[in-house]
Amino acid sequence: MEERFIIELTQSLKNFLPEVSLTVTLSLVILLDLIFGRRFKNIGAFVSLAGLVVTLFFTIKQYGGSYQIFRGMFVVDPYSTFFKFVFLLSAFVIVIFSLQSYELRETSARRRIGEYYFFILSLTLGAFLMAGSVNLIMMYLSLELVSISSYILAGYIKESERSSEASMKYVIYGALSSGLMIYGISLVYGLTGELNIYAINASFLSSGYSPIVLMISLVLILAGFGYKISAVPFHYWTPDVYEGAPITVTAFLSVSSKAAGFAMLVRFLKASFIDRTITLGIEGAWAVIQGLPLTEIVAVLSALTMTVGNIIAIWQNNLKRMLAYSSIAHAGYILMGVVVMQNLGISAMLIYFLAYLFMNLGAFYCVMLVAEKTGSEDIEVYKGLGYRAPFLSIVFTIFLVSLTGIPPTFGFIGKLYLFSALINAKVIWLAVVGVLNSVVSLYYYIRVVRNMFLGDPESGKEPINFSPAHIVVMLILVIPTLLFGVYFTPIVNFAQISVAMFGLR
Amino acid sequence: MLSEFAKVLLFLIIGVIFVAGGLITNRLIRPHKPNPEKSTIYECGEEPIGNPWVKFNIRFYTVALIFLIFEVEVVFLFPWAVIYKELGLFAFIEMVVFLLILILGYVYAWAKGDLEWDKPKPKYLGFEREKREIEEVQA
Repeated sequence: MEERFIIELTQSLKNFLPEVSLTVTLSLVILLDLIFGRRFKNIGAFVSLAGLVVTLFFTIKQYGGSYQIFRGMFVVDPYSTFFKFVFLLSAFVIVIFSLQSYELRETSARRRIGEYYFFILSLTLGAFLMAGSVNLIMMYLSLELVSISSYILAGYIKESERSSEASMKYVIYGALSSGLMIYGISLVYGLTGELNIYAINASFLSSGYSPIVLMISLVLILAGFGYKISAVPFHYWTPDVYEGAPITVTAFLSVSSKAAGFAMLVRFLKASFIDRTITLGIEGAWAVIQGLPLTEIVAVLSALTMTVGNIIAIWQNNLKRMLAYSSIAHAGYILMGVVVMQNLGISAMLIYFLAYLFMNLGAFYCVMLVAEKTGSEDIEVYKGLGYRAPFLSIVFTIFLVSLTGIPPTFGFIGKLYLFSALINAKVIWLAVVGVLNSVVSLYYYIRVVRNMFLGDPESGKEPINFSPAHIVVMLILVIPTLLFGVYFTPIVNFAQISVAMFGLR
Repeated sequence: MLSEFAKVLLFLIIGVIFVAGGLITNRLIRPHKPNPEKSTIYECGEEPIGNPWVKFNIRFYTVALIFLIFEVEVVFLFPWAVIYKELGLFAFIEMVVFLLILILGYVYAWAKGDLEWDKPKPKYLGFEREKREIEEVQA
């Protein structure tokens, strides 16, 4: 008995190497920062970068396999591995941003910089676990690991009142929604007596369920997920936290923590609430179990999220706050991929995430550089920027155009696949809402561009220069945004292979 | 037959009756002779001093957190110690890894001075203020 248990454990550990290597890295960051931190200030960053590369190596080796490990706690499948690539890429980019961040350099945060990289890595570890966990308790724990790391990161600049306020609000909203979520989980457990999502599904199909209780628990669990992905009734924390947190952290939260929420949400919905005995005749379509208006709930959530996000974004003059509302709107767009309840929608979602990774990180990077040079994130300072910093303005314009979804950018490809998945599934009304929203979003994105290129060109302010390192980072982000907008076949193929989840069609 | 939840409800009702019944019976049959000595707050026999709503030093929380970590460690160590012989080398290595990670956290807290009680107060220099002061010096 014990022998078998140990063999199973060692087998599982072999398939858990990316997470193990992340854990080793974050321990090393703390240890080395403690020993050498005084002499080499950026040692944490370089250890993190090295660790992320090693993790990337293990993740690539893992890609393609599909198995359950740790007795039904985790799965390793192409779907989770795809998300791991997204988390790794964004963590890598964020560490590079942080090396250049003025907020971390000029405040007392510089004395705690080792811890900062520790939390970046632990957030990534939590996101890894979120993408792979198939047990409700494990899901909740990994969600908390991500949440707690992000609370601390949001309040990292202790001298800034905005930052502390952001952290406080984040904790309070987070506590509320994770409380609701654990309550929903307890109801599901009460209904089925199972915590593994596959076992829950089997129990629903074999011994029946009460639709009303299931509905209540689903809504409660969605509150937890909705908070993580900042979907609309649960989005109140987003603008304040995104505005108050250091820009590097904001960019990280808007990509990694959101992607992790989506990864877990889709796996949970797809594994728990589908009826595998029914075939719909369409390739890769899932039939939702009887009596549960899941499609309608998610569709309404999606429409609300993008509409509210876009409409409020119009009134924002602080660029960080505007991008916060825009990230709420993007959560709405990505939810459209869930509404169709087909593998086609999930692959569109994955494509969109890759696009979102590059364009959103890029946009935040430009805001960070401008804030460093001018000391403000207000839209006013962007007036005439096109003449003072032409390169940055052009790059920023490309990111904004990509966020709107205009060809030839990666953002367009992401939206194209999302909308075509919707139309394929005949959810026309939502597609119309989505297109109208894109038009609304065009207004506030282009307002920044207008300020940069048409706002007082004669002001005669001196030009802003950037170091080669800044230009290289901008290029690293802008080249994929443009390249994959034209040459997108490999990305689309990659996403279509990656929809495969363990134990599901 | 009662269902499982009905039994829980029964327990709940009996529990409420037990407590409320005891209090009410006491109230009905006890003599009622208060004096100032009796109506003071009971603080383990000491004379109560001041208001209980005082601010606690924030360092208590740090110490409590570090304590909590080691408390949980012990919870994990007990079952491991009980079947240590059957599990052998693998479990030993695993526990060493676990302890090393914990010790790392402890060492970090120690090195950062979180265990020292009489820490001098750091000078507060706000970010905004710092910038303003630098500007004033330049001007």
